[in-house]
Amino acid sequence: MTGATIDHMISAIVFIGAILVFINLFNQTIQTAIIYQRHRYLATKCSDLLDNMLLNPGYPIEWGKGNCTPTSFGLQDPEFTEYRLSPFSLMRLNYSAGAPVYYPKTGQYYSNITMGFGKSLLVPFNEVINYSIASRLLGVNGTYGFSLTITPIITVSISELQSNPLTLSVDVKGAGFPLANANLSYCFITVKPTGGAGAYPAYTVDYGASFTNGEGSAVLSFPSFDATQESYVLIAYAHLSGLVGVGYHESVLYDESYVVPLISDFATGTVAIAHSWDVHGGSNPAEISYNATFVLLTEEFTLREMPLDNSTGKIGKINYGEGQPYNNITIPTYNPGLLVITYRKSAQESGVVLMPWGISSMAFPVSFGADSSGKEWVTTDLRQVTVNNIAYQARLSLWNMEGY
Amino acid sequence: MMRTIEILLVIIIITAAFLISAFFAVLPSPRQVSPINLRRLALTTLQTMDVDYDLSQTVFKSSDDPAWGGLQIALSACLPPNVIYNMTVYEVQSGNQLYTVIKSISNAENLGISSDSATYLAASSNVTFKVTPEKIGESQGGVTLYILNCSDANGWWITGYTAQSLAEDLKQALSPYFKSTIMVQNTTQLAKILNGTALQNETVQNAVVINTEGEAVPIPAGYYASSGVGYDSTHTSYARYCHTLGLRVRQYNWTWISIVGYPLYYVSNTGLFPSEQNTWGIYGMKNVEAAGLNAFLRGIDNQSYTYDATWITGEPGIVYLSSQASYYCNYYGIYPSPYQTATRALPDSILSTYHLSQSFAIFNKVGNWMAGSVYKNAGSGSFIALGLTRSSDIRLASLGLLCAYKPRLFRSDYTVNGTSRLVVLQLGQAGSV
Repeated sequence: MTGATIDHMISAIVFIGAILVFINLFNQTIQTAIIYQRHRYLATKCSDLLDNMLLNPGYPIEWGKGNCTPTSFGLQDPEFTEYRLSPFSLMRLNYSAGAPVYYPKTGQYYSNITMGFGKSLLVPFNEVINYSIASRLLGVNGTYGFSLTITPIITVSISELQSNPLTLSVDVKGAGFPLANANLSYCFITVKPTGGAGAYPAYTVDYGASFTNGEGSAVLSFPSFDATQESYVLIAYAHLSGLVGVGYHESVLYDESYVVPLISDFATGTVAIAHSWDVHGGSNPAEISYNATFVLLTEEFTLREMPLDNSTGKIGKINYGEGQPYNNITIPTYNPGLLVITYRKSAQESGVVLMPWGISSMAFPVSFGADSSGKEWVTTDLRQVTVNNIAYQARLSLWNMEGY
Repeated sequence: MMRTIEILLVIIIITAAFLISAFFAVLPSPRQVSPINLRRLALTTLQTMDVDYDLSQTVFKSSDDPAWGGLQIALSACLPPNVIYNMTVYEVQSGNQLYTVIKSISNAENLGISSDSATYLAASSNVTFKVTPEKIGESQGGVTLYILNCSDANGWWITGYTAQSLAEDLKQALSPYFKSTIMVQNTTQLAKILNGTALQNETVQNAVVINTEGEAVPIPAGYYASSGVGYDSTHTSYARYCHTLGLRVRQYNWTWISIVGYPLYYVSNTGLFPSEQNTWGIYGMKNVEAAGLNAFLRGIDNQSYTYDATWITGEPGIVYLSSQASYYCNYYGIYPSPYQTATRALPDSILSTYHLSQSFAIFNKVGNWMAGSVYKNAGSGSFIALGLTRSSDIRLASLGLLCAYKPRLFRSDYTVNGTSRLVVLQLGQAGSV
């Protein structure tokens, strides 16, 4: 009797222990499968959301060219189909990777894309679409977080090999390979700080074309130009088999005071011309005069100057500090291009700054959304897109706000 | 002891069950759990490379052309370094074998355990895809299009254009849809067609007449300006001519098109009215004002002439293209602004007064106002009026006319032999799972 009882007790204990072990084993497998399933769903959601952003223009469809807040979020260029994005809608996205800039004379903070001295795009916060608005319009507010980056596929790097006579090296690279035997077209703008004190700077615009070699490099020579005496900017477009990239390089003789273009109004194309000391601070500020022009990319991948009328405020003088108002320039077109502003303090002190009108004109990147660092599982998806014919890669990172 | 042995047997069975289920419950690899959508990446890569038709040009070149090298460089440059590819171009053929391999380029021996692909149909740039419009009234011998391009008449409310430039544009846009298109070069020729005389052996009956002079209408001197035919001596008005015009529209079953503003508000003939002006400084023109349109509508309805100077149009303001008109914008490839400002819209009361039916609404009705419509008289003759403010947009007149007749467009076949090539881009990911 006792032996049978012990037998039952041992068998019951062993059975319960074995059941618990097996439940745990099965549970682990099921848990892993469920998490995998959720991750797969997240990947599908990421792909769908990316297409949703890239394949519809939003509403109003021309919201990128106005000041309104869209009631539907989308980045497609309304003039095209497929994965062609609006260069102006992208301009209105709050750039998450740049530190905002405050300009006291307008009392506004600006979304800041700066790619080096004199190459910036500053858009006031009241004109940009922020992450929370986009998230709400996309229907993922509170459920998913995302980060959208749109970066140019082709990188055109320009460096100075020699100042006098000026010789520049142009290197063209893609995401995974140098762009060998690519066509290059370029625009060379030089600042002519002629005239006495207070005169406006003049400029010259020259165009040219070249090819890259097997390593994706090209050397451009300007035999009659001395970069130690004059400021200049070179804008180069590279294109091969449908891939188009843009790069730029500038050299200025004077950078203690310069002009900072700030977008004021998308609907009217108004750009505020601010003094650098008021925006970024610095030392030895001084009054400067400026002269602006507009350069656009034609369908043949050549650059063409579109001179601004005097009525647009193309020339002027600005000073720093209180009581010194900023000026305005009006860009009279919605063709994407570059606003080139030459400035000078004196005949020996001059420079040039650039601002894209349409994000693609200077191949500026876009980084929009929340920070994905620290999230447990982030899924990404990719698309190749074009923005005004410039090749970009759109990458969406998506994560679940619930943590898995 | 027996129970313990039984339990051990149970444990062995459950262990076996677990092992068997674990064997079959194969979890996917991490790459499969959260994949990059390679199919979409491939498609968008092909679209990017064809954004300026470079891809379409290259795939039709011979297989030893240097452009293929450029294509491979571009492919390698635009795809992420960890993505491997194979791009194959096929010739699209008819017959038993639909596809023949033309060229294949790749950057890897194989594409790993998982890959995905997208296809893209490239059309040869040497091929012209024709769109052949149906000729209006072809089955009944064809309809003639008359465009009033009278050099001896002036226009009004066509600011920024001349009647001649509008006539040229209209001819270019509409002549493919008509058996014959005749430019009526002067008021003498206009008198001839009003008499039913062909100018170039065309058919006068059932013709379409577009008046490019805006609010003015050319008036021939002589018979059509004479008292009782074109001139109302009692009221010293040429509204009578407009009535005669309406009668002719009815008689020949014409479709009369007024492209802008208040129809038939002035009559114009620089020879007939050399010292008359329309009160705005345009000489060779005389006001008939609202009496012109009223007389015309009476004429088209075969009512007797009475002088009625009652202003009948209204100003509904912004008007929008009807959904049907928007549909035909896409069909015919004519894209005017979808909203316009109407200041001379006709009232819907004309439908009952003059036995007209609205056979097509170009713009949505606003209240009682019809800013642009095709009106068809119960007896004979039609009338298209665009009561918009200046300046005229002839695309709207063209659209209205095409909507009235709805000629079909016959498009050529895309997949004819040798004109299309299929590009397949297959992508995989390098490295481990």
